[in-house]
Amino acid sequence: MFLDKIELINFRLHKHTNLNFSENLNYIVGGNGQGKTTILEGIYYLCTTRNINQASDSDVVMFGENYFEINGVFKDLTQNKLKINFSLEANKKYLYLDNKQFYRASSVIGKFPVVTLTQSDHAITLGSPAERRKFIDSVIAQSSEVYLKTLIDYNKTLRQRSSLLSQIKESGNRSLLTQLDAWTDALVEAGTELVKRRKVFIEKFNEFIRESYFKVMENKEVPHIEYSFLDEDDPDKIGDVYKQAIAEMREQELRRATNLVGPHRDDFIFRINDNELKKFGSQGQHKTFQIALRFGEFFFLKEVLNKTPIFLMDDVFGELDVYRASKISRYLKEIGQAFITITDFSNLDYLHRSEDDYKLIVENGSVKYD
Amino acid sequence: MQIAEPLQLAIDELSKLPSIGKKSALRLALHLLKSDKENVDNLVNAISDLKTKIQFCKNCFNISVDDLCSVCENPKRDRSMICVVEEASDIISIEKTNEYRGLYHVLGGVLSPLSGKSADNLNINELVKRVEKGSIKEIIIATNPDTEGETTSLYIFKLLKPFNLKVTRLARGLPIGGDLEFADDATIGRAVLGRIELL
Repeated sequence: MFLDKIELINFRLHKHTNLNFSENLNYIVGGNGQGKTTILEGIYYLCTTRNINQASDSDVVMFGENYFEINGVFKDLTQNKLKINFSLEANKKYLYLDNKQFYRASSVIGKFPVVTLTQSDHAITLGSPAERRKFIDSVIAQSSEVYLKTLIDYNKTLRQRSSLLSQIKESGNRSLLTQLDAWTDALVEAGTELVKRRKVFIEKFNEFIRESYFKVMENKEVPHIEYSFLDEDDPDKIGDVYKQAIAEMREQELRRATNLVGPHRDDFIFRINDNELKKFGSQGQHKTFQIALRFGEFFFLKEVLNKTPIFLMDDVFGELDVYRASKISRYLKEIGQAFITITDFSNLDYLHRSEDDYKLIVENGSVKYD
Repeated sequence: MQIAEPLQLAIDELSKLPSIGKKSALRLALHLLKSDKENVDNLVNAISDLKTKIQFCKNCFNISVDDLCSVCENPKRDRSMICVVEEASDIISIEKTNEYRGLYHVLGGVLSPLSGKSADNLNINELVKRVEKGSIKEIIIATNPDTEGETTSLYIFKLLKPFNLKVTRLARGLPIGGDLEFADDATIGRAVLGRIELL
């Protein structure tokens, strides 16, 4: 699947931009603030109906206008037309697939899979465990609706349970403890399911990360993601170990009125040659790991969804040394369709470009082909 | 435009009803205004009878005209079985199937600490009391298959464990006559996990 055309109307700096894309690599070149990333933003809207940075839809409307519109044509064996129209006045998005209106984002999610590599990926390797959980959860959820539902269930149970814990703390009413036990059972049931699926996923995902990392760094370095839940490796024992741990923490949970045990506190340890990335990694290793994660996500989704995602890469080359950048640019050839923003093309001679790649030059919201 | 006060009052009251907005309320009010007095009186009586003539069954908390509801009073029902539901409306759904001949018990909601619902606000103690009387052999828990419904069923299960009864939970899976193609992934996933042996 690839995006053949896009039309952006009143979309940030783009008054009215019509673009045709290559099935392969599309380099989007221009200075800062000229509207490069906006093109990626538009593509992301088409694939997910949502904003790439969780910005609100009204922020995207060109200053002084009262709507924005994005039209796109995806080509696969068949052709799909997608239209997103946002009205500032109604503060509402109108979505159309092949001229037929639809109302829920979930009707297109998974239909046009997309993988992004942006500056904010720094947070995945450098930030808190929550960022790593968010990344891992989003990859698994894209490949399994059951996982997504279980995760939603689990989070809801967490909220209910913590509310009950506070009630017990405030009221001192110990008769509520039997109800707490029921919520604990529900938590352990959903939580165990999450842990098991995370374990299976990480095992498989490690192969993808190794492969991607290898393409960039050859075999100089070996990456690995480590995940263990309460030090238990046997999937059949996770439920029991979980139950026992939560029983041991009971008094502490009651005292602090919070959920202290479970996959919502998991961390995923990223390692390079057995050294913990977060503690010992250089800037370059962090960047390379982030890239390997996204390429890994790409090839993982391609395999499980049996569909080739679109790859969006925002201003990544600027941060890399020539060796890595050149390797990545070669690796991109294996991807299929990708959109790559670059601030300056002149000193990027090491990029492997071929005839069927497009180069789009963006200046103040208008686009030329080179 | 200034709307005549009685009309405005009717619109305000109607729009308090679920899934009725201001516009629908206006349309309903105008319709009533144009209707015969007799029709309107019938409606008014029907509504006020709801509050005066209907009560909750002393035994199972179903909607009832008398102290005991029609299910509890029916001598043909199987008195060794109780189906536990969240709301009285669930009884109507199950009764329509004609597949269940036992009694019911309406909880009046599910456990949800976030919205302030604990076991004390539900008719759970009353259920235990019914079981304590001894003639019950099976409890079927028919709460909704969502987080709160599942947890409530776990809780009831724990409470009833000492009584040594058969406690069952409604099966979940594919809709009858439904196409596998159109079922959502989570439902199919659950149905695969809860598959039934044929041979």
